[in-house]
Amino acid sequence: MYAAPFSYFRAASLQEAVKLLQELGEDARVIAGGQSLIPLMKMRMARPAALIDINFIPGLGDIHNSKGELRFGALVRHADLEHSAAGVTVPILHDCAAGIADVQVRNQGTIGGSLAEADPSGDWGTALLALDTSVVCLGPEGERTVPLEEFIKDAYTTALTHEEIVTEVRVKAPPKGSGGAHLAFKRSAPVYPTASASVQLTLADHNTCKDARIVLGCVGLTAIRAKEAEAGLRGKPLDEKNIRTAVDAARAAADPQSDMRGSADYKRVLVGALVKRAIGIAARRARGESVDAGHEYAGR
Amino acid sequence: MAAKAIIKKKGKRGPVKGSSTNGAGNTASKWVGQPIRRKEENRLVSGKGIFVDDEKMPGMLHIRFVRSSYAHAKITRVDVSKAEKSPGVVCTLTGSEIKRQVQPFIEIGPGGAQKIADYPMAVDKVVFQGEPVAAVVAETRLAAEDAAELIEVDYEPLPPVVTAEDALKDESLLHPAMGTNRNWHGVFEYGDVEKTLKQAAHVVHIGRLHFHRFSSTPLECNVILANWDPRSGDIEYHCNNTFPSFASQFLAPALGVRIDQIHMKSYDIGGGFGIKITSYPYMAVCALASRKAGGRAVKWVETRIEHMQASAHGNERTFLDTRVALDKNGIILAIDSKHVDDCGAFPRYEPLGCVIWAQVLPATYRVKNIRIDMHQVVTNKCPVGPNRGYSRMQHLWFIERVIDICGQTLGIPADEMRVRNYIRKNEMPYKTPNGCVYDSGDYASMLAMAKTLVGWDDWKKKQTAARKEGRWIGLGIGSTLDSGTNNFGQARIINPDAPFSGQSKVGIVKLDIYGEVVVSMGSVPQGQGHETSASQVVADALNITPDLVNVRPGFDTAHNAYTGHTGTYASQFAVTGLTAIHGAAMKLRKELSRLAAWKLQAKEKDLEFGVGAQGPEVRVKGTQKAINYWALANLVNVNNAGMPEELWDITLNCRHVFHANFQIPDVKRKYGNLTLTYAAQVHAAVVEVDRETFQPKILAYACVDDCGKAVNPRIVEGQVHGAAAHGIGAALLENCAYDSDGNLLAATFSDYTPITAVNIPDLLCGHMETLSPFTLNGAKGMGEGGAAPIHTICAALQDALYPSGVIIDDSHNTGDSLFRAMQKAESGGYTGMVRVEHRRASRRRF
Amino acid sequence: MNMPDAKKILVRVRVNGVAREAEVEPRTLLVEFLREHLNLTGTHIGCDTTYCGACTVILNGRTVKSCTLFAPMADGGEITTVEGLAKEGKLHPVQEAFAECHGLQCGYCTPGLLLSTMQLLKKYPKPTEAQIRKGIAGNTCRCTGYQNVFKSIRMAAAEMEKR
Ligand SMILES: Cc1cc2nc3c(=O)[nH]c(=O)nc-3n(C[C@H](O)[C@H](O)[C@H](O)COP(=O)(O)OP(=O)(O)OC[C@H]3O[C@@H](n4cnc5c(N)ncnc54)[C@H](O)[C@@H]3O)c2cc1C
Ligand code: FES
Ligand code: FES
Repeated sequence: MYAAPFSYFRAASLQEAVKLLQELGEDARVIAGGQSLIPLMKMRMARPAALIDINFIPGLGDIHNSKGELRFGALVRHADLEHSAAGVTVPILHDCAAGIADVQVRNQGTIGGSLAEADPSGDWGTALLALDTSVVCLGPEGERTVPLEEFIKDAYTTALTHEEIVTEVRVKAPPKGSGGAHLAFKRSAPVYPTASASVQLTLADHNTCKDARIVLGCVGLTAIRAKEAEAGLRGKPLDEKNIRTAVDAARAAADPQSDMRGSADYKRVLVGALVKRAIGIAARRARGESVDAGHEYAGR
Repeated sequence: MAAKAIIKKKGKRGPVKGSSTNGAGNTASKWVGQPIRRKEENRLVSGKGIFVDDEKMPGMLHIRFVRSSYAHAKITRVDVSKAEKSPGVVCTLTGSEIKRQVQPFIEIGPGGAQKIADYPMAVDKVVFQGEPVAAVVAETRLAAEDAAELIEVDYEPLPPVVTAEDALKDESLLHPAMGTNRNWHGVFEYGDVEKTLKQAAHVVHIGRLHFHRFSSTPLECNVILANWDPRSGDIEYHCNNTFPSFASQFLAPALGVRIDQIHMKSYDIGGGFGIKITSYPYMAVCALASRKAGGRAVKWVETRIEHMQASAHGNERTFLDTRVALDKNGIILAIDSKHVDDCGAFPRYEPLGCVIWAQVLPATYRVKNIRIDMHQVVTNKCPVGPNRGYSRMQHLWFIERVIDICGQTLGIPADEMRVRNYIRKNEMPYKTPNGCVYDSGDYASMLAMAKTLVGWDDWKKKQTAARKEGRWIGLGIGSTLDSGTNNFGQARIINPDAPFSGQSKVGIVKLDIYGEVVVSMGSVPQGQGHETSASQVVADALNITPDLVNVRPGFDTAHNAYTGHTGTYASQFAVTGLTAIHGAAMKLRKELSRLAAWKLQAKEKDLEFGVGAQGPEVRVKGTQKAINYWALANLVNVNNAGMPEELWDITLNCRHVFHANFQIPDVKRKYGNLTLTYAAQVHAAVVEVDRETFQPKILAYACVDDCGKAVNPRIVEGQVHGAAAHGIGAALLENCAYDSDGNLLAATFSDYTPITAVNIPDLLCGHMETLSPFTLNGAKGMGEGGAAPIHTICAALQDALYPSGVIIDDSHNTGDSLFRAMQKAESGGYTGMVRVEHRRASRRRF
Repeated sequence: MNMPDAKKILVRVRVNGVAREAEVEPRTLLVEFLREHLNLTGTHIGCDTTYCGACTVILNGRTVKSCTLFAPMADGGEITTVEGLAKEGKLHPVQEAFAECHGLQCGYCTPGLLLSTMQLLKKYPKPTEAQIRKGIAGNTCRCTGYQNVFKSIRMAAAEMEKR
């Protein structure tokens, strides 16, 4: 399977990338890891006339930790994050990065590309919504910083104008006493999840939830903040009853579609189960426990 | 090494013909049975394998197909004009053009099935999604793909036939000339089913069961490199078709050439599992494309999507209206059922599948009264091919479901149910109600071993405790048979006019001019290590070492090592292929012995074979007198003046044909021996269904296999693992599901999700050997595995969810389907699915 | 359909330590570049959707699926393919382990699995069971049922540790 013909441009800097986007017009696309774009092009479901390769831009793959804010260059590969210090301090980031596809795809795919793609099943769009995340976009008019909630507009649709690129993803480090988890069920590794759930909890004391973020993935056109579920926990003890209420609310917030990965009804059930488990792990982590968490795969 | 041509009762000759030890002495089983490292490994780990796509021919072109997006539609227009003008395009082909150039493929089925016009490309209607409609031939793959987009096809959709039950209604016909969608029907009836059902203590009625469509799909897709030479009229194929003589018998009449003009060659093949057997339609198109392109070679590399949509799937089967008679002890006395096999759009290897299952009619059980009302239908789906476990696994799954459902209903544990019903070791060889002969086997001991491996008794206790906590844990057993070395005579049961029967394979062993031992195989290996096993057999026959045996990799018609049965299928190489090679090696040995006796002036009986300081040799026992292979080959090939005339028949190029002593079955009674050997597998598993996600998780898994003598235990174990993975994948992940419009929902690996390292459980393996009395060394063919995991996992799921009222009625189960099953159970959806009639006393057993 | 200007561009890489180059259309996939233009046919293709890993190679120290990379994206890169593992006719311990443990049957997946194993052992010289499974989760094998692949990887790890 081969992509339709295109012309290839290599950007040496962010500015050049933006300039190329301006010059080449609507039919040009940025290529980062290529792990979403190339499969689509091979199927000829995407056929850009020109590709602007940003992989050669120096420094775009760096990770910085500046005053409680983690800054990920757009080209930070999933694998970079998986093995980074940031993943240790903010475990939800590790859960997410380490659970995407397989080693090879993680070695290549980028955080910027993932958000720019806005795939409803994409893990970053889900996990980062459980944290305070903003996306830095650079265009001919300069830079702007867009909160993630506003960045992803719809399935495969973002706030980026055609002439803008993502340069950085900024994540506010969660406070002390906060813990999170990102869990998914996947049939196997090199596929998107059937459903995923991200939970970030901040505890007031050992068992009282001060703040909660609950995000559902793969069960709507974008990741879904289950705000009622969050409210079900906020300010309350993390007991069985409150967790059940939150899980039920999360299920109700899901709006899945049937496909090869599962029926809509089932995805709703599944996402509820994942939320419940993620709450459990997030709470333990919030209490300072180190918990190994990973996705579940069919059969094992 | 004595060939165990076991004498059957009444002094009849055993089924193996051919090789036996001769006078010249010392062959021993030194290498056969050893787990030696495969000869194939080093080249394959070095990237030096030669797969078809690695081959290039000068001036080679590339072909790309345009395929139907509809499952069922009339073709109203095909316009290739834009494509023909596209850069790099050499020519195009359309179905109607091809129709003028070829005869439709032979149909195996009788009656109306003979009226199916099966052309290699759709002519005026399409009957499955992905069916090729047109093709482009271009200088590069890129150019071909670009041009294919420019071909315009208009369709007028017709109502698609997607399920077997719909097909039987005959409301929309795939092949109007056939007059029906049912391309085969026959009743297989043995014993007195009605009477037994009337008199039995219990009769269990079981509703619809369904064995899903999947494909053991190899990692390498179909690849064909064809060159139709306008000068000679010969067609040269480099391809990975795994049943070349079958393919050539279809191709020659279709293309109007002599079989001798079809040259076929494979070297390394990236897996097959039966799926590559039916690639001949594409082979025809590639040849025609080469001819149209003026005799330039044309290469087709199937994409994965093409492979999933339009190569072959395994047979799908629906089991209806089952009735089972049991005595008061749970002994199954009779089974009556209606089976509808779905072969997809064209019966390409079919309807052979309508009889192949009958090789294992009673499965591993003693049941004597059986009636199967067998139907096969065509549907608007990908044609099926003989997928690993072909046709038997569907039936074995059905019988295992029957065993478990009856056991559950009568309160008899799954292991007990099996032990009570298994054919006993001392009943072997066992004649089945339809005249097949199970050569050997000890199913009860295999079960005991599997239970020990999996920790059955412990898990039983844990299960009881877990159930109290509300957990859904189930234990399951799957007993299965891997019948091998089939008698093509069974085709007569399908079509009495079918002009084939029996089984044969060729092996060639020669000494080359410098005395090298060279073996040509009549098989088409795809990873089964045939080079290695063959070298072990020849090493033993000549008392040399396997490294001194040069086995030519792959298949090549030029080696002349084929008959009309040649290919790799039906679990048989260990029997057919190796017996042929052994026979050839023994012929060579005899020639060498005669030659050496003359040259060394000794008696043949005083000679021995072995390896001396100067390589392999023949020597006079207890003396220094010896002659090595170089000298012996020299005598025949380049230095033969003075050789006495009585030795002139010696060629040192020995060909042997394996024959099994098969008869043509009794077509009326559908009775006779359909296959030679019966390898068996018994698996046991513990599966938990997660209460929250409904995901089935395998907690423990054990496989016990018995393939008689294992020629190379390492290879055997590998086959057991591989077959287990295919079965587990099929049971939990892999499903060629179609939507109601006939769109394949799993057309990519991303949707089909072939099983990976994060899914597979650890396999605890045990091995038993009950020697086959019918074969050389007592080996039985193996490798297909009989899909034991599908039976086993379904059994375990049944055990886990039976208390909740679920009946596992499908061979494919996921978290999603189990969730829906639980919902169905809650709403009483399984009521009536299984019904038991109890009678007070059964007067007697049958 | 307007065909964009798809003029060929020069791609230069070092493959298995040797400088190689070819002029290709930008849409040429890295796997095609290796197989068709550089004649390194050890790297295989098994799917269209980045699932199977038969095409796995090491690019700049990391495994990638070469069917999901346009060749120009690898320009200037250092590539290792299966052909580059053996040194002076001697199999690499990873190759040796797969051969010894019968970690392959048809061998079609094997080049990709070998390179994924190299990557895994670089990161985790003594991999746990879970690390092994995750490390080759992007490599489909249809023949072996993975059991002997796991065994091969454990053996390779043990052998490489000895060195
Ligand atoms: C087999 C497979 C399995 C996968 N499984 C998962 C999974 O489980 N979970 C998951 O989350 N993802 C999964 N992915 C997707 C993967 O994470 C991709 O890497 C990611 O979605 C896209 O990142 P990329 O860098 O590869 O983007 P590309 O493919 O290069 O680009 C994607 C889109 O984003 C645009 N783009 C890229 N970078 C920028 C930028 N800096 N500024 C503006 N636009 C940009 C491109 O123009 C394009 O439209 C999978 C992919 C594959 C092939
Ligand atoms: S060919 Fe690259 S992942 Fe399948
Ligand atoms: S060995 Fe055949 S696919 Fe792995």
